[in-house]
Amino acid sequence: MKTTINQKGFLIDGTKCIGCRACQIACKQWNELPAEKTEFFGGDGYQNPADLSSKTYTLIKYREVIKKDKLVDWVFHKDQCQHCLEPACVSACIVGALQKTAAGPVVWEDRRCIGCRYCMLACPYNIPKFEWYSINPDIKKCTLCSDRIENGLPPACAKACSTGAITYGSRDELLKEAKKRLKSGPDTYYQHIYGEDEVGGTCVLNISSIPLEEFGYPGNLPKESLSTTTDPAMKSIPGVVIGLGAALGITAFIVNKHKKQLSEESQSQGDQS
Amino acid sequence: MTNHWIDIQHSDVIIIIGSNAAENHTISMKYVNMAREKGAKLISIDPRFTRSSALSDVYAPMRSGTDIVMIGGIINYALQNNRVHKDYIANSTNGSFLINPGFGFKDGLFTGYNEAKRKYDKKTWGYQLDARGNPKQDKTLKDPNCVYQIMKRHYSRYTPEMVSGITGCPVETFKEIAELYTSTSAPDRVGTIMYAMGTTQHTVGTQNIRSYAMLQLLMGNVGKSGGGINALRGESNVQGSTDMCLLFHILPGYLKTPQPKDVDLAAYIKHYTPKTNDPKSANWWGNYSKYITSLLKAWWGEHAQKDTAGGFAFNYLPKREGWMDHITLFEQMYAGQFEGFLIWGQNPAVGGPNVRKERKALEKLKWLVVADLWETETAAFWKAPDVNPTKINTEVFLLPAASSMEKEGSVTNSGRWAQWRYASIQPGDAGWHGDARPDLWIVDAMFKSLKAEYKKDPGKFGDPILHLNWDYGTGDKVDPHREPDVHKVAREINGYYIKNGKPAGQCISFGKLKDDGSTASGNWLMCGGYVNWSSKEGKRSDTHYVKNEAGEFSNRYARRINEKDEPKVQKLIAAGRTTGLNLNWSWCWPVNRRIIYNRASVDLKGRPFDKDKWVIRWNPNLKGGKGAFEGDVPDGGWAPGTKYPFIMLPEGHARLFAKGLRDGPIPEHYEPVESPFGNENPLSGQAVNPVILQYYKGTKVQRELNPIGKNDKYPIVATTYRLSEHWQAGAMTRNQPWLAELMPDMFAEISRELAEKIGVKNGQKVKVTTARGSVTCYALVTARFRPFDLVDKNGKKIVVHQIGLPWHYGFQGIATGDAANILTSHVGDANTNIPEFKAFLCNVVKA
Repeated sequence: MKTTINQKGFLIDGTKCIGCRACQIACKQWNELPAEKTEFFGGDGYQNPADLSSKTYTLIKYREVIKKDKLVDWVFHKDQCQHCLEPACVSACIVGALQKTAAGPVVWEDRRCIGCRYCMLACPYNIPKFEWYSINPDIKKCTLCSDRIENGLPPACAKACSTGAITYGSRDELLKEAKKRLKSGPDTYYQHIYGEDEVGGTCVLNISSIPLEEFGYPGNLPKESLSTTTDPAMKSIPGVVIGLGAALGITAFIVNKHKKQLSEESQSQGDQS
Repeated sequence: MTNHWIDIQHSDVIIIIGSNAAENHTISMKYVNMAREKGAKLISIDPRFTRSSALSDVYAPMRSGTDIVMIGGIINYALQNNRVHKDYIANSTNGSFLINPGFGFKDGLFTGYNEAKRKYDKKTWGYQLDARGNPKQDKTLKDPNCVYQIMKRHYSRYTPEMVSGITGCPVETFKEIAELYTSTSAPDRVGTIMYAMGTTQHTVGTQNIRSYAMLQLLMGNVGKSGGGINALRGESNVQGSTDMCLLFHILPGYLKTPQPKDVDLAAYIKHYTPKTNDPKSANWWGNYSKYITSLLKAWWGEHAQKDTAGGFAFNYLPKREGWMDHITLFEQMYAGQFEGFLIWGQNPAVGGPNVRKERKALEKLKWLVVADLWETETAAFWKAPDVNPTKINTEVFLLPAASSMEKEGSVTNSGRWAQWRYASIQPGDAGWHGDARPDLWIVDAMFKSLKAEYKKDPGKFGDPILHLNWDYGTGDKVDPHREPDVHKVAREINGYYIKNGKPAGQCISFGKLKDDGSTASGNWLMCGGYVNWSSKEGKRSDTHYVKNEAGEFSNRYARRINEKDEPKVQKLIAAGRTTGLNLNWSWCWPVNRRIIYNRASVDLKGRPFDKDKWVIRWNPNLKGGKGAFEGDVPDGGWAPGTKYPFIMLPEGHARLFAKGLRDGPIPEHYEPVESPFGNENPLSGQAVNPVILQYYKGTKVQRELNPIGKNDKYPIVATTYRLSEHWQAGAMTRNQPWLAELMPDMFAEISRELAEKIGVKNGQKVKVTTARGSVTCYALVTARFRPFDLVDKNGKKIVVHQIGLPWHYGFQGIATGDAANILTSHVGDANTNIPEFKAFLCNVVKA
């Protein structure tokens, strides 16, 4: 496994979360994401919208824990990119639009993305989202506020969390802290750190009173990175990859040119107004 | 709060009741979590399993409107099992005081009830007095007439089974929380109670709070770090607005509004100044005359002389006759008793009780002025979906107001900390919104315009306006480009000495205020917050240093020194002083005391009950061997044992038994006006609080649009509440797309059992109806509500369903929906007339 010594991440502790969604709004605010049109609720409890999307990078999910037909708990989970140590999405991205930074975040670059959506297929957590509504679609997802981290600021959601449910810091330290909490709270925590080993480990570590599988996360993921399987898989059919790569490369060229034009247009319009 | 937010971390057991702190006071959960990390237990008592319950160790369900049964049950458990702090009760409360032997209680009524007047004669509710006029005591707490024994008898009826039958909380769960909470009766353990509007908004609201306070006194939890009785205020500055008298019955600093019988200042002072013959009682309200006189000097300055208008211009103050609360005002408006109305930052067309009646009342006005950020439902009442604008003659003015982030001034939080806030943008700056004005500018301009009119024609009684001391630096004329000086306001609120008719320096504390006209103070409680600069105040580079044309000042509200950066404080903390007092961060009333009644946290020798997190302790080595308290600012510096700890009361002891309230000296359970038991109360023959105002039985006009429902037609209990995602009556959040995304639509939370009964599925629509009206909304079907298993007066088991509705919605903005308060009534608490929003009856059907 690669060294994680300099990687940043989150420890998300469901037992401290109150489901207030300050994180969800802070994310929209920092990333200047528009609101989605919702009706009633999009999932269990107060969940809205129904899923992550190119306009929603993080989302609180609510689960009523019922045993013998009686409610015993109400648990909240923050859904977001887990920022794998060795991300499958990055290895699946044929144009290098998705990249793993040294500081931990898995980031994307609009300029390079050709909208092929391989990353969506590769991600075990169903995180990257496509701008379905756009004439010029890209892939969008949480960046762990890479731009804030680079400037010495904590990610927006962590900053907004008032109860200590989101702790931002070095992954190694957070892992130690997670282990400490599990050990000191055998009755409070489900004894598993989701993200410690899953697909080779992730920068986001989750602990909770219930298994993350209850929130739809896959159980029994391999301990090895998926990129070790995606890479050879992609490479084992070189003809297709090269052919597809070439075709997509041309598309990318056209799309990017169009995009550049658009952005110049909007800029000049901005100047006029 | 007697304590403050940060202090919650020091609790061993926390009860959240009548509050959903996690959703409405999110920051509090930071400190609740810190306490839990140290092993504290959280008890959540609520009709619904909320986001606060989600973090709790024990969740106790409780039908809305039964707090006194639940808490009375815990009190009974404590008294029967001797799980109380006896020394504390004997030395700090009136538990040992002997009550008039004529006092009694029978079948739901205390002695002295006059049925015709619906009022108590409180003659028998007093103390037995000794020859010197002081209350007789039995420190052994054994005399049958002592308060302790009276309480023990009174609450013996509140057995676990009775509690369970009325509240719906299972007996085992009740016993579990009673055992857990009364563990804080040990001197080295402490518990706190966090409450909010779920407690107050009942016909027994005041007594609900009393019951919490009494439990805290029995546990010896008041005055200690991690203890106290903590009201979580509903808005960021609602504590400040209360301190500054935004209520009908008080003037700034909790002085009383005069009534017609207070014919002059001398009569008024006599009326409200308590007396004691006990030298050990500090009887702080004995200083009443100094505070009212200084207030009158602040308001009418040179015109307030000893012999003017009843003494220091006393008769310039408006006098009130009877109730002037929200419900009463709207009843009067509906009856056409006044023609104009100013509404500031309030939206009664959504937030008022009985919204239909209140919207109708607005139609009776000739003119309405709304100062707000948005065109609220109140400003737009004339175009509500169900009204015809052509039939309404009210002229509406909307004054665009600046938001809290656009104004400079102090904000007082629930913990009484007044913190200075700076404007992020000034009127006239790029990006400023149109004609929006800070409230201070609006009030200043309004007053100057009013004064100009009075100058032209003073009418019958122009002096109070013409003589008002009003100069905040904007000249005589209304000038849209000159902002009033908020520092001038702060200086006046603090108060100053007067020499030769002119201000002569800031008063340093309310101990310096006088009743001879030589001092002025806009609010005696805030005296000490804004003082003259001296080297003791810190460095001139500090955030609280102010220099302007009037001189150099210390704006203590703006202090920003964390105690972690204070080596002297750290030494005390190493010696066991509690953390988080932060005496040099902001300023708090009174006299910067962070935990009030802290003299009750030490024994008669000044030794703290809790040695690990003490608030104050007596240090005999201080003051050159004379000794002094160290730690927090003590409730008076007298040597321990020489003064009683509860200095605001003439008897110096906290009142387990309190004569002051209208509905009884000890909290007794009465059902909400709309109860699933009908006209019955399992505890007594008195179903409803016997002394509440009954507009619903009043004149024809009062009865209109305000009928009360019965359980045969409306069998389901309902309550209302707030959500994290929306704010009050919703204008600030329902216009915000991100928040509208999270909570887009009005909904009702209903149990799976009720949903099945009425044939509705999650996400379908329901119609909720009360005697006042109905709302249609989505049904959120959840296991977090469960039907209550109750036992009625005849011992018959009944199942009662409860639902809950957020009250944020209205017809304006992005996220819209029916207002829940269409369902609620003009019925209020016996002492304050705060509306009974939190418990009423409804019926629910599939829409």
